[in-house]
Amino acid sequence: MTRTKTIRTDYLARVEGEGGMTVRMRDGEVTDVKLRIYEPPRFFEGFLRGRDFREAPDITARICGICPVAYQMSSCLAMESLAGVEVDGQLRALRRLLYCGEWIESHTLHVFMLHAPDFLGAASAVELAQTNPELVETALRLKKIGNEVMRVVGGREVHPINVRVGGWYSTPSRAALDALVPDLEWALEASLEAVRVAAGLDFPELEQDYLFVALDADGEYPIDRGSALVTSAGTAFPVPAFLDHVVEEHVEHSNALHARLDGQTYLVGPLARYAIHRELLSPLARAAADEAGLEPVVRNPFRSIVVRTVELVHACEEALRLIRAYEQPAEPALEVVPRAGTGHGASEAPRGVLYHRYRLDDDGAILDAKIVPPTSQNQRMIEADVRAFVTAHATLPDDELRLRCEQAIRNYDPCISCATHFLRLEVDRG
Amino acid sequence: MTTCVVGVGNALRGDDAAGLVVVQLLEADPPDGVRLMTCEGEPLSLLSSWGTCDTVYVVDATNSGIAAGTVRRFEADAAPLPDDLNHSSTHLLGVAEAIELGRTLGKLPPRTVLYAIEGAAFDTGGPLSLEVAAAVEQVAAAIREELA
Repeated sequence: MTRTKTIRTDYLARVEGEGGMTVRMRDGEVTDVKLRIYEPPRFFEGFLRGRDFREAPDITARICGICPVAYQMSSCLAMESLAGVEVDGQLRALRRLLYCGEWIESHTLHVFMLHAPDFLGAASAVELAQTNPELVETALRLKKIGNEVMRVVGGREVHPINVRVGGWYSTPSRAALDALVPDLEWALEASLEAVRVAAGLDFPELEQDYLFVALDADGEYPIDRGSALVTSAGTAFPVPAFLDHVVEEHVEHSNALHARLDGQTYLVGPLARYAIHRELLSPLARAAADEAGLEPVVRNPFRSIVVRTVELVHACEEALRLIRAYEQPAEPALEVVPRAGTGHGASEAPRGVLYHRYRLDDDGAILDAKIVPPTSQNQRMIEADVRAFVTAHATLPDDELRLRCEQAIRNYDPCISCATHFLRLEVDRG
Repeated sequence: MTTCVVGVGNALRGDDAAGLVVVQLLEADPPDGVRLMTCEGEPLSLLSSWGTCDTVYVVDATNSGIAAGTVRRFEADAAPLPDDLNHSSTHLLGVAEAIELGRTLGKLPPRTVLYAIEGAAFDTGGPLSLEVAAAVEQVAAAIREELA
């Protein structure tokens, strides 16, 4: 007699967007793992067609309320690369500062409000506030500081309105940025403490042999831009070759595409950035990682929460560095003259590499657009983690197994709204 | 005494804009001494939006399965919100969770009133449904009366 068991979560809590999960077992063996993304497709690539190239940052920002800056930066970079324009100096420093604001608010939200409850036995952030009110108070203040950086630089906390292809509509004064310093100094201290708290959590056992992939940013920890992608296997390719290596495919159970890199399942996001670029972290972030006992390559996905806090330290320290070196530029933007062709851009969203490609005509109208978000790249790896965890812990009671599987998905801070994608429908009528 | 009204929602998702439209209706003839605000992003920011206000009116759309256009009024400072208001948001943490988080941390204004307007359709780019278009007028008038 065979014994089958199905573990199913219909509505995943504490992730952005709508998805579920199914794990099927037969005689103690895992036979099937599916991360089901049923949030409806959103057609963004479709309705970018025919729009002016200057509209792409504001349209694509609407894909996500948590990481709009990532969409704005990747689309600007794609348009600028096609026009042969490089936004550098203080205009670029402001972009990196804005992006630090997004990392601070996004990592804070995930670490404290969405992921920490898993480790501390709370079902929600509200429950966590009952048992660990000081942690939630810290999170709210940290998140507010990230939002404030976005408001001052980007003009608005969510979906910033000050970003344009070529730079900015207006640049902040030195005094406006200086006013952020006391809060960011507090945030830096709070982040260092967060590393200590995260490092002290209990982590389920799981070691995975990941293929890590991150942007290469020419000697900087990659955030707002990158010229190439590098892998932990030692391979590298320039951003314009992204789609020569990354192939996406539809699977029946998900409205998000599944990606492979040269045929392999891979991982993008904090674990990958840390594994590949640990030496490029800010001095305090690196020291915090050492103090927390983080090995150079972290292969236990549950410990990604610690790596995220290390990146939080980095984002605060980097923001302070950028502000101290800031001089308001004479002009807010460079002129960008469109030309026909294909442009590519990529940046490191909080949850991993975000790639954009646009084809324009001579007038700068978008002929087609391609967007590959981090969550669709991580989907196969998420399923592989869940499969490996269940295989190794098949004897756990169902409830605990379900909880741990959900936690394994939340390790990736998945943004399901970003990942949903139009399924091309072909009708065969014989 | 500081009083504020916060409309919550997404202007691009049909009836989800209900809270924002109520604030627009109030802005047409702003009540004296009342801060009018909107929250289009992540509802956790409500906690800083209402800050040190003594009285806050929060207006949001719901998708709980009752008749479209139904207006429910909750005195959130007096008692926890009913469960059906939780998890009715596609956001990470909804308005009800933000209010409960505020209660737990002692950051809820002494008087916190939630107006919940049940939506009919939340399609991308869709207009307000007829039921909700009527309900937003009703809620704006009710808040004006409470503020008078």
